[in-house]
Amino acid sequence: MASRCKLPLLFPKSLFKNLRFVHTEAAVTQPSYPPVVASLTAKSKSARLRQIDEQIQKICASPVEEKLSLITRIQRQKFVVYPQTFARNADRWYQHFTKTAYIPGLPEKFSVDSGEGSSPSPADQTEITGIDGDAFAEIRALVTRVILQEHCHMNKKRKPYVYKHQEQQMGPFLKNLVAELTYSLAKYNPLLLSSSLDFSPQVNFYWRRGQRIIPKGHRKGRLEPFRFQIDDSPHSQIRITQQLPQFNPMEASYTADVPLVPLAPNLMPLFRRQYDNHIFTGAKLPDPACYGHTQFHLVPDRYHRDRMLKQQQSDQVEVFLRANALASLFSWTGAQAAYQGFWSHEDVCRPFVSQAVITDGHFFSFFCYQLNTVALSVETDANNPRKNLLWGSQSQQLFQTVQDGEVLGLNDGVIKLLVQFLMNRP
Amino acid sequence: IYINIIVPIYQLGNPQLRIFRPNWFLTLVRPGKEQPPDTAQFRVPMEMTKYDVKNYLEKIYNVPVGVVRTRIQFGSNKKRNHLNQKVKKPDYKVAYVQLAQGQTFTFPDVFPEKDQTPAEGSMEEMQNKFMEDEKQRQKLDPRRGGVTEWFGL
Repeated sequence: MASRCKLPLLFPKSLFKNLRFVHTEAAVTQPSYPPVVASLTAKSKSARLRQIDEQIQKICASPVEEKLSLITRIQRQKFVVYPQTFARNADRWYQHFTKTAYIPGLPEKFSVDSGEGSSPSPADQTEITGIDGDAFAEIRALVTRVILQEHCHMNKKRKPYVYKHQEQQMGPFLKNLVAELTYSLAKYNPLLLSSSLDFSPQVNFYWRRGQRIIPKGHRKGRLEPFRFQIDDSPHSQIRITQQLPQFNPMEASYTADVPLVPLAPNLMPLFRRQYDNHIFTGAKLPDPACYGHTQFHLVPDRYHRDRMLKQQQSDQVEVFLRANALASLFSWTGAQAAYQGFWSHEDVCRPFVSQAVITDGHFFSFFCYQLNTVALSVETDANNPRKNLLWGSQSQQLFQTVQDGEVLGLNDGVIKLLVQFLMNRP
Repeated sequence: IYINIIVPIYQLGNPQLRIFRPNWFLTLVRPGKEQPPDTAQFRVPMEMTKYDVKNYLEKIYNVPVGVVRTRIQFGSNKKRNHLNQKVKKPDYKVAYVQLAQGQTFTFPDVFPEKDQTPAEGSMEEMQNKFMEDEKQRQKLDPRRGGVTEWFGL
């Protein structure tokens, strides 16, 4: 009987002791030694990786001012991207640097209305929210006044010398136009009441994208990221206290196509320099008007249509405008995102939207930009499906000529688009 | 005959300089580093300027030129010959020409790889076959697995 079950000779009492702890949870023991991680100061690759990791954690954990100063602390050779550039096909290169897709035509908000409002009768201007026929007629009169002020009433003793025409004639014209339009539309758009209008502000942005192997020198063979810096000074800009609403949801940008340029940026031609890295929207960090609304750019004499025509480069005019809008708006929206604490390892959670109007006094082009991602460096861009979007319109003339104190051929569509741009609000 | 001609300097009031039969020749070269698809690289004489290159290509060859950038490549003076004298490699000017109207240019493959198999029934084919058979005969028995003939009976 006793030999039927397979028990050993000496009956062990530990059989029952083991059964006692089967249904209880195992006690959580505190680790008695610190976790095993790579060294921080050794001359090894894992030590370098850990140093980079620690730096990233440090930046993520600090407040915004410290974040900006830590990101822009070290000075290294970087490519200086000029928004107004003489390079050919600059817009393709800039699209690659900023991961932006270009969409011809304006977003639905503006294009539906401007398609119908090309006839000059004030009866069908009711599509703009809050502006009726009389108000539009007032705005038309205002624009005519500004044009006449600059072109016939201003008593200019001397004709502008070579390459000073835009700066001395169109500069003040645009300044007056922007100021008067903003202040007169402030009664319809309460956002403009608390906005800030700056003239020739500084807008800077610093970012990294792509990498190369250093060909020569004591660091030969190592990977180095491409660093870019934009230092832009638009003619004028409007900054507001609230964020503009997005034009397209972020997911819609996953399918957009961005031109990929596998060549090094210096073939564009783009030049490298080393100086202080700046990230600036136009006002310092504590300013309440930290979000952007609209920028106005003036095309300088060097890139004027007529001069491009003389050099048989008329096709580059549109390219230049697009490149200008792209670079300026990317730097502005990127700086706005940086002021909110988003950088390449902490991507934006909501899209940043801004608008721009580029003009040379006669031809106006309108651009809208939506920043969906600021994570452009090599590590963060590996699995990033988001792309930034730029909408742009063709350039349209505001008026044909000024004759005997009369403005001929005033284009209502352009005025309508200007008003719509300024009336844009959340 | 090659005469040393200095192109006359322009002074205010001079008539527009026109050159009707230029004594300059451009050389189209393969770029050493990868260039954008609309760029062609030329070696030009030192006396030519960007505008000269542009007009030359537009007027003589009808090539729509957008923009031209030039640089001068220094030829090294470091090498020494058997008499320990420094030997100078000549300097030359390189012009990068970006084409207009969306045209692209890739440098063609001037020395394409020829198919090395000889024609059927020819001497080369028989010779190649004979050489291959000889080599096969010289090789050891593959069943020995690379062991030499020094050992064994």
